[in-house]
Amino acid sequence: MTSLSQPAGTPAVTSPNGTEQEPNASPGHGHGSGHGNGPGHGHGAHADHTMTGFVIFLASESLIFLALFVGYAVFKSSAPLWLPPGVEGLEVRDPLINTVVLVSSSLVIWLAERALHRQRLGEFRAWWLLTMAMGTYFVVGQAIEWQHLPFGLASGVFGASFYLLTGFHGLHVVTGLALMALFLVRSLRPGLVLPEGKGVMAVSLFWHFVDVIWVVLFVLTYVWQRR
Amino acid sequence: MASSSSSPSFDPRVLKEPQLMPGSPGNWRRYFTFNTDAKVIGIQYIAVALLFLLVGGLLAMIMRGELITPPADLVDPTVYNGLYTLHGTVMLFLFLFPILNGFNNLLIPPMIGAPDMAFPRLNALAFWLFPVFGVILMASFLVPGGPSGSGWWAYPPLSTQNPLGHAINGQLLWILAVALSGISSIMGAVNFCTTILRMRAPGMGWFKMPIFCWTALAAQMIQLMGLPVLTAGAVMLLFDLSFGTSFFKPEGGGDPMLYQHFFWFYSHPAVYVMVLPIFGVFSELFPVYARKPLFGYHVVAIASFAITGLSLIVWVHHMFYSGTPQWMRNVFMVTTMLIAVPTGIKVFAWIATLWRGSIRLSTPMLFCLAGLFNFIFAGITGVMLATVPVDIHVGNTYFVVGHFHYVIFNTITFGVFAAIYHWFPKFTGRMYYEGLGKLHFVLTFIGSTLNFLPMHWAGLMGMPRRVASYDPEFASANVLASLGAFLLGVATIPFLLNIVSSLVRGPKAPPNPWNAIGLEWLLPSPPPAENFEDDVPTVISGPYGYGLGRPLVEDQERFEHRALEA
Amino acid sequence: MTSTGRRQPSPGPSLVLVAVGLGLDALASWTMARQAYHWLPVQASTAAPYVDNLFALETGIGTFILVGCSAVIAWTLLFNRAPKYDLDDGDPIEGNLTLEIIWTLIPLLVVLAIAWHTIGINQTLATLGGKQRLASAAPGATDSLPLSTGSLPRATDSTEIGPIQVIGRQWSWEFIYPNGVHSSELHLPVDRPIHFRLISMDVLHGFYIPAFRLKQDLIPGSVIDYRLTPSREGRYRLRDSMFSGAYFASNQTDVVVETGADFEAWLAAAERAPLRPSFNAASDLWQQRLAKGNRGWATVPPAPPPEVNVSLDPQNPHEA
Repeated sequence: MTSLSQPAGTPAVTSPNGTEQEPNASPGHGHGSGHGNGPGHGHGAHADHTMTGFVIFLASESLIFLALFVGYAVFKSSAPLWLPPGVEGLEVRDPLINTVVLVSSSLVIWLAERALHRQRLGEFRAWWLLTMAMGTYFVVGQAIEWQHLPFGLASGVFGASFYLLTGFHGLHVVTGLALMALFLVRSLRPGLVLPEGKGVMAVSLFWHFVDVIWVVLFVLTYVWQRR
Repeated sequence: MASSSSSPSFDPRVLKEPQLMPGSPGNWRRYFTFNTDAKVIGIQYIAVALLFLLVGGLLAMIMRGELITPPADLVDPTVYNGLYTLHGTVMLFLFLFPILNGFNNLLIPPMIGAPDMAFPRLNALAFWLFPVFGVILMASFLVPGGPSGSGWWAYPPLSTQNPLGHAINGQLLWILAVALSGISSIMGAVNFCTTILRMRAPGMGWFKMPIFCWTALAAQMIQLMGLPVLTAGAVMLLFDLSFGTSFFKPEGGGDPMLYQHFFWFYSHPAVYVMVLPIFGVFSELFPVYARKPLFGYHVVAIASFAITGLSLIVWVHHMFYSGTPQWMRNVFMVTTMLIAVPTGIKVFAWIATLWRGSIRLSTPMLFCLAGLFNFIFAGITGVMLATVPVDIHVGNTYFVVGHFHYVIFNTITFGVFAAIYHWFPKFTGRMYYEGLGKLHFVLTFIGSTLNFLPMHWAGLMGMPRRVASYDPEFASANVLASLGAFLLGVATIPFLLNIVSSLVRGPKAPPNPWNAIGLEWLLPSPPPAENFEDDVPTVISGPYGYGLGRPLVEDQERFEHRALEA
Repeated sequence: MTSTGRRQPSPGPSLVLVAVGLGLDALASWTMARQAYHWLPVQASTAAPYVDNLFALETGIGTFILVGCSAVIAWTLLFNRAPKYDLDDGDPIEGNLTLEIIWTLIPLLVVLAIAWHTIGINQTLATLGGKQRLASAAPGATDSLPLSTGSLPRATDSTEIGPIQVIGRQWSWEFIYPNGVHSSELHLPVDRPIHFRLISMDVLHGFYIPAFRLKQDLIPGSVIDYRLTPSREGRYRLRDSMFSGAYFASNQTDVVVETGADFEAWLAAAERAPLRPSFNAASDLWQQRLAKGNRGWATVPPAPPPEVNVSLDPQNPHEA
């Protein structure tokens, strides 16, 4: 039976009043622990844990969306009255443009990540900022869409589902933008995003996640329309 | 506690390590701070959870006081409804889930040789949400209209009626508290899973890991998969309650049944989140107190994940008499029956562990034995409930109340008590008083049997659940149940006395008072802040090697010696 | 995988002991299975015997397991206790593949057999008490009863009585017969299939008659088709089984199963009786609460008692 063990991670050093030093911020801080197999991983091992934890979290988060999607699909298929009176359907053109912008921003953020791995901070910041701009375009575009819609949150189960789904997603986009802003500021001090850029990787992964969710949402809401 | 002499009477390492150590000065203060040490957080969870056990128990006392007579003559029926709703909610979300997280914090790092959890600050944050949502839920007693009175299920349309029309109402606070609890649990789940997956000691492959860690991982994975769905349902309920939406309101095209699906998709697996760690506790304790290897360790380990998988596909058995079509009821009956198989495997494994053992009936073992016995009974009534025709008759009656209390109290809470007694010496550095422990056990066993066994009969005869009053023919069962409940209230006294007095003046505990095999027993009692620190043992054997004459780790004597020296 | 090198006892006496134990276990199971019928109310519908037989079977199997496991545990507590100061280990048995297979396969087969058998019962009961969920009623149509339910299938059995509309409210029951009689007490002729339409006016309720062993929730926004056949005359309780709020526990009424002739007579007399508000425990309790200053936690006020030709009389004793 192959051993799947790893040496123990970097111990968290605590001071008497209970505060804790940032584990990632002190290089050479973890002396290798564990005898036998495994080199001392130091703070690298801790960073691995961050991505593991974040991936686990994203997997769990995706299930909220899956539950909302299932609910939406069930309502749409089984509600006796779906579209509120006077509403013919959803207009697709502008949301489609917003979709293209958002999905393209995934490519842009990938370029930003790549630049960071090549240690090109200036280029990283440029692509990162562009991603933020495209994300902002999406959010503003969707907000304008919302304003023009002829139905509200209380317009039957259709209105409720539509706004909850798109709103919850929008919340995630805004969160992504906020995280990107945080890392943009941090990138002004190189030690905070290099050398491994794990935080940037995590935010990038989050952004891709938000994009994939939107694609599914878009198909579910705008493409599959029920009269 | 500190002597005033110039040379300190406590271990000087204490000054830089935030932990409970006998004789260290002012160490009790760190339990009220944002402390990232998993052992501190574990104790914090357990202490606050036990406090809420008392709150939930008090609510139960009032309920059973009402139910000792047929008419609703003690409190107004609306008050009874609020009481039983909060009883269930407090017991599940403010007692059981937190105390299990407390055990995870205390036990997982030492058992796998890790210094702490993977994300210590996330850990502390997850804990500190607990008093916050606890206060929110308790505050619901004080808002106009009182707390939520729609049961811990909060089924709409009843739960969205909001009779007084206030924006801030008991149901809203209930939803917020439960939502925050879910967030805290997900934080914990991410932490526990990452820790178990990534931070095991050298040599500790999957099949050298203690069963408690297997079941903890299995349970936390359920949390990660189920809680998001509950959250989605809770958000929709919140919107219906507060923002005028119609997810579950038929007049707006909504469907009350969909809430039930969202709710139970999480809440059924949730019961396995609660029981799996207790299965882990039983699997840890039976070998120690029978001095025998756990029978079929590999199979027991895998069975934990079989339970996880199956638990996600049985939820409709809570809706057999709701509005579900026949084919759906048949499918979910079959899946529910299947879950008896891996559960049965564990039960038989524990019994086989006892066979030809060298059994010592200490308090933890007494609770485990009674818990096992009660669980067999609860499992049988569970299989009865799985069969649709029987469930249609006894569903929503006191038969179900009896069944689930046999699981939640007579099995799970017994396991909680067993775990507290068993690991108390390790994490507090004090021995508890065995006599008080045995007294606690006897009173609890008699009280819980008297309380919950008659409920099955009342349910079979047709007494619905959640009633503040009932027809006179159910009186005898209810009198017995109430007497049992009051006895349970009394049983808490030796328990609390034991904990408090042992903490203050119990005899000092050696590193391994039970002569048990496990990494945590190679540490001093209590362990230092980072457990093995940078001297982590390499595991060379599987766990539970009683009578097999093989050391657990390389150089075991050195670790045992070091623990004794500390 | 092996025990330590102790002399193995000869298998003869052990096998006898096990056989005797199993025999006693079987006897206990049979006894408990017979007893199980006494824990249930009188059987008053054609569904009841099926439910009771299944429950008795499960009680028997369950007793066998509980007694068997407890006996083994008790044995170990009697014969495997460590002497007081003994710190020695027990027999280092780590597992036994044969046993594992046996106690995985046998429970699997047992539960699947029970499930298979029960699916058959479900089929039978579905004939006896079937249901369908229908499209929701038009929003707000609380007063226009009987509701339009054109998509419901026609009755296939010409002896079938109904459809009787069962209206659940917070907190009262109202029954509307095909000839227009309104009643808050359910009268049914024995040995005839009855067709119900279950309707809720507000929140979830549960139509539960313990003596019939049948239960079906009432779902607002749906009309549920339900069928059953009463098989024994008597007066039985109908209880709201799905928690519906403040006076949920009081939301009970009686089901009177009587001969066909008596039923027709009752129906004819009811038709002539004037409509008046039904007895309603919830309304009475609510009035008492208001009289004491409306102290208590939030609740919607009870719906007004239904106007009925025949009212429940709470003084009548019920059988089950």
